[in-house]
Amino acid sequence: MIKTLSHDAGVTVVRPGAERLSAANAKAFKDEVAQLIESGSAQLVIDLSGVSFVDSSGLGALVGLLKKIGYRGDLAMAGLNADVAQMFRICRMDKVFKIYPTVDQAAEKMADAL
Amino acid sequence: MTRATFHMRNDPADVDRAVVALKCHVANALGTAGLFRFELSLAEALANVVKHATTSAPDAPVVIEFEVTRDAVQVEICDPIGAAPFDLRDHAHPLESIDLLAEEGRGLGLILNATDHMDYRRKADRMCLFLTFLKSKD
Repeated sequence: MIKTLSHDAGVTVVRPGAERLSAANAKAFKDEVAQLIESGSAQLVIDLSGVSFVDSSGLGALVGLLKKIGYRGDLAMAGLNADVAQMFRICRMDKVFKIYPTVDQAAEKMADAL
Repeated sequence: MTRATFHMRNDPADVDRAVVALKCHVANALGTAGLFRFELSLAEALANVVKHATTSAPDAPVVIEFEVTRDAVQVEICDPIGAAPFDLRDHAHPLESIDLLAEEGRGLGLILNATDHMDYRRKADRMCLFLTFLKSKD
């Protein structure tokens, strides 16, 4: 389901490959990205620009991935639309994740921090 | 006033289809903020029904009725026949009390947070969740 792109400085961009990140696909998404992390990708940007809706299961999957990366790398969000950004705010995820307007800005910040 | 009835398969894979279809039907009744609250509540509530509605008739559909009045959009989500009652008010936690790094436990609080009124009671042979979204809150 996910699509990955290599960005500069070892940053991997992940696109969920679905318009909705919800109870129906959150576990599959989490498992696929977790596999990516286990195979060595540690600087990840989740590109949500193609995602119109995230529910609590989707958020839970993202939190799980953040915990999986832990101190070995970084995980940032990019491209949130107004509804997804609102969902992040309601659940206080804006205090948990680094969130950037675009993938390029996220990757640039991540590369600078390496 | 308009009324409509939907049937959703008791299957997680059918929740998104149902939510999108229902949202389309109230698109002209609610504003942007109301539609967001509606979509979020329905997605969480329907996923919760599918997750918790252990039933002797797994093929029985989840019945969703909604009514658009001058002041509000009202939704009834009826559990599948035979499902054990599940009043989410007994299980929901306030969003602000949930550990930021928790991977689950937000869904029921989101429903309470996003609806203007919620009830759960028997209607004929089923237990039903009643959600109200006021147009004045848009």
